[in-house]
Amino acid sequence: MPMPSSRAPHLRERHRSSADAAGGVVPPTLRRASPLCLELPGHPVATLALAAAGAGLLTWLAAGRSKRAGPASQGGRQALPDRGRSYGSRGAEVTASAAQRLNHASSMLAASVLFDSGLEHYRGQFFNRAMYTPIVVSSITLASSLHGAGDTDPGSSRVRHAAQALAGLTGLVGFGFHAWNVGKREGGYSFQNLFYAAPIGAPMALTLAGILGVVAERVRDADPDAPELAGLPAGKVLALATAGMLLGTTAEAGLLHFRGAFQNPAMLLPVTLPPLGAAALALAATRAPGASQTEAKAAMWAVSAMGIIGVAFHAYGVARMMGGWGNWRQNLIDGPPLPAPPSFSGVALGGLAALELLERHRSRF
Amino acid sequence: MRLSGTGTAADNPSRGTPADDPMHRPRAVDGRAPDVMRRGEWVPMRQFRDEEEVDFVIVGTGAGGGTLACRLAEHGFTVAALDAGPYWRPLEDFASDEMHQSKLYWTDERIVDGENPLQMGSNNSGKSVGGSTVHYAMVALRFRPEWFKSRTLLGYGADWPLDWREMWSYYDQVEDDLKISGPVTYPWGPKRPRYRYRAHELNAAAKVLARGAEAMGIDWTPTPLATVSAPRGDSPPCVYRGFCTVGCSTNAKQSVLVTYLPRALAAGAEIRDLAMVGRIETKDGRATGVHYFRDGRWRFQRARNVVVAGYAIETPRLLLMSANREFPDGLANSSGLVGKNLIVQGNQAVWGDFEEEIRSYKGPPSLAVTEHWNYEDRGKDFHGGYCYMSQGPLPTLWGSTQAGAHGLWGEALVSEMQRYNHVAGLKIVSEYLAQERNRVTLSDETDQYGLPIPRITYSWCDNDKALNRHGLDFMGQALAAAGGRNIWEQGDDTNHLYGTARMGHDSKTSVVNGDCRSWDIPNLWVCDGSVFPTTGGVNPSLTIQAIALRTADRIRAMARGGDRRDA
Ligand SMILES: Cc1cc2nc3c(=O)[nH]c(=O)nc-3n(C[C@H](O)[C@H](O)[C@H](O)COP(=O)(O)OP(=O)(O)OC[C@H]3O[C@@H](n4cnc5c(N)ncnc54)[C@H](O)[C@@H]3O)c2cc1C
Ligand code: SF4
Repeated sequence: MPMPSSRAPHLRERHRSSADAAGGVVPPTLRRASPLCLELPGHPVATLALAAAGAGLLTWLAAGRSKRAGPASQGGRQALPDRGRSYGSRGAEVTASAAQRLNHASSMLAASVLFDSGLEHYRGQFFNRAMYTPIVVSSITLASSLHGAGDTDPGSSRVRHAAQALAGLTGLVGFGFHAWNVGKREGGYSFQNLFYAAPIGAPMALTLAGILGVVAERVRDADPDAPELAGLPAGKVLALATAGMLLGTTAEAGLLHFRGAFQNPAMLLPVTLPPLGAAALALAATRAPGASQTEAKAAMWAVSAMGIIGVAFHAYGVARMMGGWGNWRQNLIDGPPLPAPPSFSGVALGGLAALELLERHRSRF
Repeated sequence: MRLSGTGTAADNPSRGTPADDPMHRPRAVDGRAPDVMRRGEWVPMRQFRDEEEVDFVIVGTGAGGGTLACRLAEHGFTVAALDAGPYWRPLEDFASDEMHQSKLYWTDERIVDGENPLQMGSNNSGKSVGGSTVHYAMVALRFRPEWFKSRTLLGYGADWPLDWREMWSYYDQVEDDLKISGPVTYPWGPKRPRYRYRAHELNAAAKVLARGAEAMGIDWTPTPLATVSAPRGDSPPCVYRGFCTVGCSTNAKQSVLVTYLPRALAAGAEIRDLAMVGRIETKDGRATGVHYFRDGRWRFQRARNVVVAGYAIETPRLLLMSANREFPDGLANSSGLVGKNLIVQGNQAVWGDFEEEIRSYKGPPSLAVTEHWNYEDRGKDFHGGYCYMSQGPLPTLWGSTQAGAHGLWGEALVSEMQRYNHVAGLKIVSEYLAQERNRVTLSDETDQYGLPIPRITYSWCDNDKALNRHGLDFMGQALAAAGGRNIWEQGDDTNHLYGTARMGHDSKTSVVNGDCRSWDIPNLWVCDGSVFPTTGGVNPSLTIQAIALRTADRIRAMARGGDRRDA
């Protein structure tokens, strides 16, 4: 039980961090965010976290149920390993593995969005109620993707499909919101507002998670011997799509690293490596189906690794803010966002899935 | 090796050295100087004996002197830079307290008179290693090119002996040295290279300026500022607490104290804190060194060259105080212009209330600016130009503005102070004209060092008054257009000091030439705000620093040309 005296230093700490808060109002939530606060369970952020976790759990359970409830939509064929000749078991293994890989990708993206939007919208004090949406939706997406990731069965799930579609849509709506927020400020669509208003590209990460998640379900449903998406060869389409996503994510990182004046040379990595990866993917899409894609896969692994290492670089960035990690309550919010870089890893995992489909055999890394 | 930003770079001092009082005991002694970026740490410093004849002794370590000391040392000259002020450790010595931080100002006694006596101290002169840049507002604007030829091209003022293109290349160098955070594109003037760091986020007060400018149909921009928007070495990015004009305790501000002076030390310069120069010695028409007061006694530093960089009051004061049999009217004063043509800049403001909360004090005080009236010559009934900026007065300053300029007291003052969070204002930086009657002279009274106290005489001319009227009217309309109510004018404020050792084309009409070298004494130089013959409508430091960089290069060029004894 904390005594008043033992709490005193924390009070002072809190005062300091709130006085340092940038650009205006002291966030009332900040003051109550002390780990020692006994009313924490009633804290709005805690409530939100509970809601998000609950939504995720429900999604998980529902996804499982819908699988058991019978064959998925579009007559998706359940894999019956080692039995029957109507579909190659090797092909089914590839589509299932690619689907899982895609679910890894969308899990990574959804997790990145969950923590990033959580942090940034907390920083924005949930000024608008709509700011709760991405947190709940990305939790649902995350649960659905994780569920799919553990599902070796090459049949789709209607609930997962719907959850992913919801994510895709939410991201687009978020994009609209953010674009509106940028445009309404003094100066309109200027660099200044692109830097400091709601980050215009961020919600699209949720859309990417949704797209990759939807594709995962579609791939599960597709003919394992000649998987197609929208009537085109799945491997090619997905390779080109993930190449585009890499470029989009690069644009977002490029904008924000430009805001940071590329003050550390490492900040150039996410604007150089991913475009190279995108080029490798595009090149891979032009190769004959079944050809080996070693270089492109290496590029995707490199981009995934960069996304993870990026967290460490951002942690160093937090250390370079005033007060460093000692002032984490301020600097986690104002410094470079820790959860952002893994969105690159997410997209790169999607690229790996595409390469798997192109190679027509399961990759084992 | 230590990684930038790790370890001791933090606010909230907890460790101090006992008996370490920078205002009374010099810190830069025993071969070391404070490491301003790290708490409790030191950097090695070369030291010269008084009898050693250094290449340059520099009086003052502010925008002019500190920058010059750095570049001269980097060019390989031996340099001793003396400053009357203390050697601060910003992370340890700066409190978030306006009253306490008045320790940064030059508050030695001065006598002011004239029709519009100047207010001296916090608004225009610092006494610190790093000079006034320790507490300046960091606004970093370039001159409009035409101003370097304002007599020929604009029909008023004087032509500078400097070419604007050359100056622009030095501006570029300063902007790089200070990693100025500025807009991606600048709306006025010739194309300039991109600012090294991006502009800061606007606060609500800056948005008021933006809205007003947009309503008036003129351009505005986030202000280029000498405080970083992203980490730089041990400087963390600005935390937007807005204490800039009383000293930045995070080192985000790129003052001379944390930029050029550490470089100067690394290049072998010596910096002497709490060293007040009282007299420059001459022999056979040449300067031989300076008498200075440090550690309780007067001493004499020998030097091949003397540079005076004490800003536009202390520089002419020192030149006048150094009068001797050889130079009875003071040094470098054959033109009689030392101390004359003191120029300041207008700093009037309009203030108003807003429905919404503004909290203008959050962030650097001037986050948005418009230079419209610097670049637009039509529609003016006066010579000169001006810019205006958003403002963020700290509470004590705001209280005294309300009690003083606004004339409120009692109930009215209290109720006005309660609206503090809802107030926004626009403040001008304007170009006044040089007049010989505005001047610095020596009085009969003496100060704590036994030196004559300067008398500062200042009056507006009609052109200045017309400019004031235009600026106040325009800003008032802009503020109203942005939604301001109960608008009132603060009509008397001035800032920045110039002109008392002006540079020019010949020895009759100026004190120094384009290289900042005095016409009369070949090894005596002036390198600070005093050399400006005109001011333009922008804040001075960037230009002072560009001139200092140029002067250092010119000195090196002359030295290479065999003129070593003189330079
Ligand atoms: C509150 C405030 C805000 C400002 N904001 C801005 C801004 O936003 N942008 C901008 O460009 N400018 C700004 N300025 C102006 C700017 O700081 C000065 O113009 C600039 O620093 C002047 O440079 P200087 O080298 O001429 O003199 P200073 O920087 O003042 O340096 C002079 C130094 O010489 C020392 N000295 C003087 N006489 C002696 C002596 N006899 N012996 C030893 N040492 C001596 C003093 O102690 C002082 O440290 C601001 C000034 C103030 C006060
Ligand atoms: S607002 Fe920025 S520049 Fe000003 S004192 Fe604070 S950290 Fe320094």
